[in-house]
Amino acid sequence: MTTRAFLIIFLLLLLSLFSFFAISLQKDYVQPVKNQEGKPLILDRQLYTIDGIKVSEDSLLSGKVILNVYASYCLPCRVEHPFLIEIADSKDVKMVGISHKEQVSATKDYLEELGDPYDFSILDLDGDFSLKLGVIGPPETFLIIDGEIVAHRIGVIDINIWNEKFEKYF
Amino acid sequence: MVLLLSLCAALNNIFMKESRYLSLSNSVLAFILFFYLIFLVLTSNPFMIFEVSPLNGSDLNPLLQDPLLVIHPPMLFTGYVFYAITFSFVIAGIFTNFDKELFKIIKLWAGIAWFTLSLGILLGSMWAYYELGWGGYWFWDPVENVALMPWLAGTAFTHSLTFSRNKVFLSWMVFLGILTFLLSILGSFIVRSGILNSVHSFASDPSRGVFLLSLFALFSLVSLGLFFWRSNFLHSKWPRFMSRNYLLVLNNIILMTILLIVFLGTLYPIYYEVVYNEKFSVGPNYFSELITPAVFALIILFTAEQFPKILSMDKLKLFIILAVATIAVLIMNSFSMGLFLSGIFLAILIFKAIFDFLSKKKSLKIHKVLGHLAVASLTFSILLNHEFSKNIDFKIKPNDEVEFMGTNLIFKSADVIQSQNFNSVVANFEVEDEGKYFNIVAEKRRYKVGGVITSETGIAPYITKDYLVVLGDLKPDGSWVVRYSIKYGIMMIWMSSCLLLLSILYGTVRRHDY
Amino acid sequence: MQADALYEDLDKEELERLEYLADNIRCPMCSYGNLSSSNAPISSDLKQEIASLINQGYSDQEIFDFMQDRYGDYILLDTNIEDNRSIFLIPLVVLVISILLVTTYTIRKSK
Repeated sequence: MTTRAFLIIFLLLLLSLFSFFAISLQKDYVQPVKNQEGKPLILDRQLYTIDGIKVSEDSLLSGKVILNVYASYCLPCRVEHPFLIEIADSKDVKMVGISHKEQVSATKDYLEELGDPYDFSILDLDGDFSLKLGVIGPPETFLIIDGEIVAHRIGVIDINIWNEKFEKYF
Repeated sequence: MVLLLSLCAALNNIFMKESRYLSLSNSVLAFILFFYLIFLVLTSNPFMIFEVSPLNGSDLNPLLQDPLLVIHPPMLFTGYVFYAITFSFVIAGIFTNFDKELFKIIKLWAGIAWFTLSLGILLGSMWAYYELGWGGYWFWDPVENVALMPWLAGTAFTHSLTFSRNKVFLSWMVFLGILTFLLSILGSFIVRSGILNSVHSFASDPSRGVFLLSLFALFSLVSLGLFFWRSNFLHSKWPRFMSRNYLLVLNNIILMTILLIVFLGTLYPIYYEVVYNEKFSVGPNYFSELITPAVFALIILFTAEQFPKILSMDKLKLFIILAVATIAVLIMNSFSMGLFLSGIFLAILIFKAIFDFLSKKKSLKIHKVLGHLAVASLTFSILLNHEFSKNIDFKIKPNDEVEFMGTNLIFKSADVIQSQNFNSVVANFEVEDEGKYFNIVAEKRRYKVGGVITSETGIAPYITKDYLVVLGDLKPDGSWVVRYSIKYGIMMIWMSSCLLLLSILYGTVRRHDY
Repeated sequence: MQADALYEDLDKEELERLEYLADNIRCPMCSYGNLSSSNAPISSDLKQEIASLINQGYSDQEIFDFMQDRYGDYILLDTNIEDNRSIFLIPLVVLVISILLVTTYTIRKSK
């Protein structure tokens, strides 16, 4: 009698374990950190481009802006770079780069080598601007509409991610 | 793994004389082998299975180019394989009724498996400490937990063998044997299927996960089915209250609870992700707050077990003592109190060990008291490490010095060195502690292929404390960011673990001539 | 010559707070570890930021909240006991029940 009760309990437990595993095998990857969607873009300092020109607040806060965090040391950035060029060519959007924690010369070499899809690139030598933005490491891509972050991708962006998260705003 | 399994099966056949349970065990092994071979043939090229997928054609990650890393996973898998063999004999026992000879075989294999698995875990933990450069040896990382689960079940299993020899609680022992094997399969499923670190799941084939899951389901259904089907035939006796066996049953219950804690802590985040699509944070606080009291209860139990006279005391008195002790353990959350308590138990066990060693009869069974002594001292050193270890970060230029916790750290020089695979900066430090001087060399490497930068921690190990120096970034003003830590008890942790391993080994081979 | 502290404006007590915070905040780029056990660049950046937050007079709880607001719940290393009592209680309940069962059964049998 007790054995039978044990058997039934055990079977139920096992079956729920199996089904739970079966479901969890199909789940998508969950990002460990929350993305920044829905938050405003805060500009608390004067930013400069990699050419040393002042960035006006208006150029980031009005209209549709894509902010892409990149660096020459970042291998996945090279992977997504051709896609960024494609977007810059085909969509009506301002594309702004953030050069993440590296010297201007390295960034310029990188853009020379792979092409420059950006309207301009912001210099972020110590990474502090990116940090405040919620960036954990390049590559990351934000879509900002009138100063509000509406889409945020942590990691490489490609056509699938674009269609899923960004396309609806165009 | 498959190769090893078949090799062991072959070894078995060479060394043991023909008997009914050997053939049964062989068929069980053949059954397991059959499915693993299918798994290999269908889902993966055998040469791919344990390979780390390269990042964009770069080198093998430098952290993985380390001998300790290279041996520890095979060691763990060998442990799993040995448990599979143990399992096959347990299954054979279900059909033949356990006799003395079979017990001897099971005990041998269980001991070997236990030893190998413990060694694998220890090596992994050493690798984490020396190579990852974080100054930690155990992170409650899901992958570690998954290796710990069969170990806990195996520990309970080996202990249960001592009482089930007299047919006490026989079916429980069988159940543990099955559980240990199933948990090791579960481990390979969780690690290899990509449900844990789905970041890398693009590299692993989804069909592999499905197959491993069905393997796990198949094995667990079949073995537990056999267990429940035959368990009526295994007539078990029940231990007497307050006998040694009763304590062993309690020990098993506590070990199972620890297992449950680890199991929940590992699987609940996965469950949470599935249900809420969000990460769930299970921190070290979950494990340590729950497991620390449990470990103390264990220590109290096995210390009591060493003194049979206590057991024959007045039961009421004993019960009150036990209850008070349990409550004390439950309330106790502060580490220093734990340190104090584990120190007392450690001292008691050391005395007992010395006495046993002196008496001729008992010195043959010295592994029992030594093994338990090792666990107590392991607990003591871990608490010591938690309580006193400290770090400091600072910027330092060559020839500067820093004072920290009564020691002086002097940065002597930083040299750039070219070698075949990497360029490195080698920083020489000198530590002065109470008049003693010694050197620490910390290194920072940039690998030529892939450009990965790694930091080689400089460690000066001493019995009570380790001195660690990690070299960070170079600042524009020519100073280096350096992290200096003093970690207590690390050496003692390794030594206790080694003592535990030796006791396991001695206990296993003591009665066997080969 | 004495070396400079990396976090210049913090006194000894504040440095200990920094260590405590870095021990209990997860590195957002790692799969599991905390800030102080990680070599990822983001970890040292975050540590700098925590140092400056301490400097601005934030309390420990405010810093945890700040990080939680920016990076989500997973950034906090510790399991929240209040919200997840069940996973803490299940093992305890199982332990107590099984010990009681076994003990009563043993006593009854041995009589």
